[in-house]
Amino acid sequence: MRTEDLIQSLAAQTRPVSAHAVEQRLAIGLVAGGAVTLALVLATLGLRPDLPGAMMNAHFLMKAAYTIALAVVAVIAVAHVARPEATRMRAAWLVVVPVVVLGALAAIELATTPSEHWLPMWLGSSWRQCSMRVGVLSLPIFIGLLWSFRQLAPTNLRAAGATAGLAAGAFGATLYGLHCPEVSASFVVTWYSLGIAIPTAIGAIFGPQLLRW
Amino acid sequence: MASEDQLKGWMVRGLDGDAAAQNRLLTALAPMMRSFFARRLRGAGDDVEDLVQDTLIAIHTRRASYDRDRPFTAWAYAVARYKMIDHFRRQRQHVSFEGLEDILVAEGYQDAASAKMDVDGLLGEISPKQASAIRRTKIDGLSVAEAAEADGISEADVKVSVHRGLKALAARLKGK
Repeated sequence: MRTEDLIQSLAAQTRPVSAHAVEQRLAIGLVAGGAVTLALVLATLGLRPDLPGAMMNAHFLMKAAYTIALAVVAVIAVAHVARPEATRMRAAWLVVVPVVVLGALAAIELATTPSEHWLPMWLGSSWRQCSMRVGVLSLPIFIGLLWSFRQLAPTNLRAAGATAGLAAGAFGATLYGLHCPEVSASFVVTWYSLGIAIPTAIGAIFGPQLLRW
Repeated sequence: MASEDQLKGWMVRGLDGDAAAQNRLLTALAPMMRSFFARRLRGAGDDVEDLVQDTLIAIHTRRASYDRDRPFTAWAYAVARYKMIDHFRRQRQHVSFEGLEDILVAEGYQDAASAKMDVDGLLGEISPKQASAIRRTKIDGLSVAEAAEADGISEADVKVSVHRGLKALAARLKGK
């Protein structure tokens, strides 16, 4: 095909693009993926029975604040790496802030608990399932973000994959929190973080293949 | 030849749905991309034209990733640079030892990206004309002629701007 002809046919399909197209596109991917994840939680796991009341308690809020904080940092990073001229993001280290804060809460919790209760507190009743469930639940959101990227132009595909995985993991974990009855900070900082790390690692490993354009 | 302001104007109007502006933009970009790739892929004419077309398609279909508050040429060349790296990577896959070199390319690219932030800060301290001339010739890797075209100034002006700009930068670095 001659380049001139290509230009004619491309320009012929020129549709208006919103000034906030990146944000809109990411929001659609996140919401669509999140809806699938929520449906999975409802269909296979169910909400925790005490949910309306539990939403007001400190443990539930701590857990939600942790995963939402990670999700916010991750989404900002995703919006950054979605542009081709993106430079290395200095603000990306902010992602450690929620982890450090929750880690400190976990330390306080351990310090104020007799040591014979440490192990049951840390493992809760669902440590075997927690990380894997978070990993699986993040998958639809990850796929949603892959769709979002199709009109965007990431050039550092490993970073783009990792940040998309982190965002998917953090959102998936937030929705899993609607089911999960665990209360201790040490549980959340370990098993939730591990669960979120799974899609992050998958994104970093497969980003260069999945996001190529 | 189109300047940053002209290109950006067409781009923004294209984003608003103006097909004629989009046509002018892509038409103006084609020769810029052609010389960008030709200088980097010596004597591979077919590859150059393939890359030009690939890049124009990407610029058109992924224009949502352009932020209207930022320079347009930097965005367009970032797309072109990605297409070139992708091209080299694909070629290398035919020639075997991809693994290690793939990593090296990716790493080097990241380093270049992080160094760029410091460079952006420094270039912000000298006159925009000098900064632009240095950015185009020393960072984007354009020839003096391409930089002159892109900024709509003469080649001599580019050379002088680069020279004075580098001198000003050196003076600032010594002062720090």
